[in-house]
Amino acid sequence: MIRDITIGRYYDSESVIHRMDPRTKLMGVLVYIISLFLVKNVCWYIGCLIVMLVLYKAAGVPFGYLLKGLRGILLLLCFTFLFRMLYTPGDPLIQVWIFTITKQGILKAVQMTARIALMISGASLLSYTSTPKELADGLEKAFSGLEKTGIPVHEMAVIVMIAFRFIPIMLEELNVLMDAQAARGAKFEDGNILEKCKGVMTLLLPLFLLTVRRSSDLAMAMEARGYTGSGKTSRMYPLVYKKEDRAGYLAILIYISVFIIARISSLSF
Amino acid sequence: MLQGKHITFSYQDPAKGKTDVLADVSFEIREHDFIGLIGASGSGKTTLIKHLNGLLKAESGEIFFKGKNIYSKKYPLSELRKKVGLVFQYPEQQLFGRTILKDVMYGPLNLGMSEEEAGKLAKESLELVGIPEEYYQMSPMELSGGQKRCAAIAGVLAMQPEILVLDEPAAGLDPETKHEIFELLCRIREKRNNAIVLVSHHMEDVAQFANRVWVMYKGKIAMDGTPEEVYSRVEELEEMNIGIPQITHLTYSLIKEGVPLPRPAISVEEAEKMLAEILKEEKPL
Repeated sequence: MIRDITIGRYYDSESVIHRMDPRTKLMGVLVYIISLFLVKNVCWYIGCLIVMLVLYKAAGVPFGYLLKGLRGILLLLCFTFLFRMLYTPGDPLIQVWIFTITKQGILKAVQMTARIALMISGASLLSYTSTPKELADGLEKAFSGLEKTGIPVHEMAVIVMIAFRFIPIMLEELNVLMDAQAARGAKFEDGNILEKCKGVMTLLLPLFLLTVRRSSDLAMAMEARGYTGSGKTSRMYPLVYKKEDRAGYLAILIYISVFIIARISSLSF
Repeated sequence: MLQGKHITFSYQDPAKGKTDVLADVSFEIREHDFIGLIGASGSGKTTLIKHLNGLLKAESGEIFFKGKNIYSKKYPLSELRKKVGLVFQYPEQQLFGRTILKDVMYGPLNLGMSEEEAGKLAKESLELVGIPEEYYQMSPMELSGGQKRCAAIAGVLAMQPEILVLDEPAAGLDPETKHEIFELLCRIREKRNNAIVLVSHHMEDVAQFANRVWVMYKGKIAMDGTPEEVYSRVEELEEMNIGIPQITHLTYSLIKEGVPLPRPAISVEEAEKMLAEILKEEKPL
């Protein structure tokens, strides 16, 4: 199960969404998440889901990836659902021992779970369609105004980029380690929970060491190439808005307007 | 001992579709074999060796260990992992134990042996790879690169495999340590009387130590024979982008120039002998 985490992986494909400027996509994700919080009526989430599916389709990312991304937070989703359902006061529907399930509880549970799930799938779409470098560039450009106030935007963007870049590398190394330890009789797939835990212990130390070593190598390589951390370097591919981005911003604007108008006129929200 | 029949395997990647890695591979490892597995990168070597102990399951085809099909439901894979020991690339990166001895004992303990038995096997294996006793209680991280690798090999040896499979055991080591590793392999084979499968780029060493050579090309075993047989097919090897020993190349060029050598030599010693033979014959003239 650890083997197929897809968070933070880039999905290489040729699509409108891949071509867009990372700033547009960052804005899109931000607006999408805000819209999820504007919603009060559960039915609206179906609309949000449809928008998400259309975006995945447009990006050429298979729907399987959407589910895969959610599998990692399955436990979180289950807990959210369960506790929201059991601990929301309201009109009781079913009462079992000390647990009461209320109508409001179920609605709230569905709402919270859907919100988290959609949020994660939106963010995953961002990482499927933009490389870590694009994301970092986008973040840096978007917040470059803050540089004057003394906030080290460039450095922070680089940190974010490297962190993203390390996820797939670590996963790859984890795979190698799991094979190697399995060859020495570790049980990851079959075997009881105690054996599985023991198996995981044999992965942690080597993985940690490898990661530390890799980061120090990376730091050395960056220094060797004259990286000083100052943001004064020019870019090989400067970010420029294109016509997809104009269309993108228009779509975002229309999308959020619908939510705001619905909210103001409180159309069964 | 271990026999593979018509194995095919492909990786599924939703982004890139299906890539065939193994296409109808058949092989046989006999007792006490020393097999050199060579091939350009991406030819499927690592994928093939992961099949040998059941880490990967072939899409079609069968593997028999001592006559028993390892893909049948009742076959205990853990038993196979014990019999076929796999040492991966850069095995020193997989060490995790607090002490070297504990790390080496990990395999036998997983096989359900008692502490005492595992300790005995671990010590014996460490001795075989040449790690002195005063190191046993040290952390693996305190060893040098070559020693770490030896300790990692001992970790697999302690499971007493009947077939030892090593993926590039000499990668990234200096020539001297490299040579030590190969000599170690020969020593292991002599002492434990097991078969060895060695994946290597280092043609000279394969030629010198192996009794059989498999050449992989595009997911197939393209050649299977003694080093002499395989290395005499110089042109084919070059077409497959496989480097051959320098001496083989040299003697091959000599043959082309008209020097009557019986075949391209696989080691400097052999070339020397062949040339001496020719010169002896020419003397009376």
